[in-house]
Amino acid sequence: MWSRKSSMLGSLAIALYLLGLTLRNSQLVTIAVVIFVFLTYAALFTNHADVASSGRRADEWEGEEGVSLSNVSAMRKLSAARVFEDGEVSCTLRMQNQSSLAKILEVRDRVPEVMRIKEGANYILMELGPRRETMIEYTVECPLRGFYSIGPVTVRIQDPFGLFHKEKELQVYSDFLVFPKMEDLSDTFVKSKVPKIFTGAVNIRQPGPGSEFYSLREYFDGDSFRSINWSAYARSGKLMVNERERDAVSDIILIVDGRAVSETGPVSRNALVYSTRAAASLARFFLSRRDSVGLIVYGDEVVSVDRDTGKKQLYVLLTKLAGASARGNIPLQVVVNRILPHINKGSPIIVMSNLEDDPTIVSALRDFRARDFDVTVLSPSSLDFEFDARRLNRTGFDVLKTERDILIGELRSLGVNIMDWESDMLLSTALAGARGF
Amino acid sequence: MAAPARKGPRNPAATGSKSGDTSHLYDGKTVRAAAPSRKKLAGRVGGGSEIPTDAIPEIQIPSFIESLLGGPLVPKLKFLPADKMVQTLQLAAYALLVALGMLTWIVSPPQGTIWFWVSNSVGVATLIQTLVVIAAVATGFWGTFNRDPRFMLSSYLLFILSALRFASSKVSLSNDWFGFDDNPLMLTILVVLYAVILIMYFELTNGVIRFSMLDTSIRTNEVYVMNVKKVVGKYHRSLLVNPLIAGTLAFVVLSANTILPLFIRPFSEVSALRMEQSVELISVYGVALGSLIVFLIVGGVFAANIPMRIQKYRENKD
Repeated sequence: MWSRKSSMLGSLAIALYLLGLTLRNSQLVTIAVVIFVFLTYAALFTNHADVASSGRRADEWEGEEGVSLSNVSAMRKLSAARVFEDGEVSCTLRMQNQSSLAKILEVRDRVPEVMRIKEGANYILMELGPRRETMIEYTVECPLRGFYSIGPVTVRIQDPFGLFHKEKELQVYSDFLVFPKMEDLSDTFVKSKVPKIFTGAVNIRQPGPGSEFYSLREYFDGDSFRSINWSAYARSGKLMVNERERDAVSDIILIVDGRAVSETGPVSRNALVYSTRAAASLARFFLSRRDSVGLIVYGDEVVSVDRDTGKKQLYVLLTKLAGASARGNIPLQVVVNRILPHINKGSPIIVMSNLEDDPTIVSALRDFRARDFDVTVLSPSSLDFEFDARRLNRTGFDVLKTERDILIGELRSLGVNIMDWESDMLLSTALAGARGF
Repeated sequence: MAAPARKGPRNPAATGSKSGDTSHLYDGKTVRAAAPSRKKLAGRVGGGSEIPTDAIPEIQIPSFIESLLGGPLVPKLKFLPADKMVQTLQLAAYALLVALGMLTWIVSPPQGTIWFWVSNSVGVATLIQTLVVIAAVATGFWGTFNRDPRFMLSSYLLFILSALRFASSKVSLSNDWFGFDDNPLMLTILVVLYAVILIMYFELTNGVIRFSMLDTSIRTNEVYVMNVKKVVGKYHRSLLVNPLIAGTLAFVVLSANTILPLFIRPFSEVSALRMEQSVELISVYGVALGSLIVFLIVGGVFAANIPMRIQKYRENKD
């Protein structure tokens, strides 16, 4: 491939050659000839001008054009296939030169745009000796959830003057998942007056509010006097309290709004980002309590994960949340109509939505409340994100905020636990606000 | 009405923690990761209905030339202070610039230039021609010193402008201090030397920019270079080898009246003698003929895919 420099030099040479003949000026013709020779020599000997740019796999390449780079291969290894947001992935790229000639290579390992190179470099200029290999190591920081691929590896060879170059893409890809960041909610729930927000009928072998005796333990500040075991106190001389076996609920349904409107705001600060982080944190919290958790993400389609328990379920949920993208505009009513027949009566339902651009929200949540579901809505405010990013002026913000407050008031009157989740508020605080403890 | 929002602890991801910095997501535009105070903003943002300027995305429409070249003609780049390699290239460029200025002035007499046609005065034309050469040297020096491609480009254009003249097929000198006018061989060498130095000047000044870019990229950790010495060494070798080869080949092309008779002489002594003394072969048309022959040979080599075959042989050699 001709570079801009060689194209300009070539054009200049042709122009000078023709001008030289027209003006009968051998000086101009000589300059043109020297430029031609310069270009020809670079193309002939210094270019390694046989690099393929077809993007075919190196081992599949048999054509004459790709001689130099057909002997260059790449392999990549990642330190982790799954990380959480703000986590780091270390990449080790092994470049091999199986040819008997040394090569000066420009290697760029393509990294997703949202990622930042934290250590090392993914762009390397190197001299790779004959039948040698080298390792390139770098670390990327992953600020946003999603499915990502590192690759392909672009290899370029050019002559020393940068006149001609050829590129080839080695189709080596490494996929990995970035899960949404999770907030630890356990402290919040333990510290609150009501240790857990939902009670149900299934006994599990864990201490907590319930009916069956579980064990004795020492009294701590905040424990109810009613739970003090006076006989044990009399025996031991220490205040002891009865612990009861926790009653767990049968299932908890998390509903995440993944409509296109949920991505209103900056890339890293919008309702969908907050909702997925909240859903991940809640899922981990409830699953750690051995509750059964189901997930529904709706946008252009309704994606659901059936209720289940355990660590495996957490990874299934996190994977779905990692892949959630803002698309479509399915109303909440459609989701409600679809899931209502399948969820147990009285199950707690937590909806994470910015409550925008959906005229069916009130009727959908009314349907839930009418069937006695415990509904909690965490609503990250897209208005705040837009206003904070200075994309919304004060008047517009005030008008839209008033409309939003009216909607929230209306939902609250239905008995929905709802919280206007401000952008700088921790999830635990938002939850505490929604549940009123 | 909505319940008053609880004031809880601030989200560390949303405040100014290191990991929360998302400036890299916005094409280098720094976006504050911390949520600004709404009260403060409300005080600053006007109540009008106009669209805030930062809400309108910046769209850069490439100019006609930029779209043709696939980028700006002269990129405005800011480099870190020059390292040793760049300084060496700058020094070499200065040396070549001085030599080129002198050679240009010698091999490009004012006769036949545009200003000679306009003014019809040798004195005025000499003055303008001298000024053009001095301007070319000065802009080249300034461009190399500041690593500013705009001045370099101006310098290239001025050097070419000074060579644009009607020359009546003959190589003539403005000052024949060494008596080269009577020696066609020396004239040829002088012109080839001039042409090679001009191209090397182009290359060296371009190298100053390229290696400044590379050095800046290395020092900002954008690119990592393994085995710098070998990479640079190859460039240095090429700086010596390429002009030698280009000069030799150009000399061959310019000596058509000497080389062609060598092939003809075994068949006809008279024809060879006539060719040697032929005005056409000595003139610019002879040069054109010589270059045509050489490049036909080179074209044939490429057409037969010989470079590729050589490369393949070398690649697969045990």
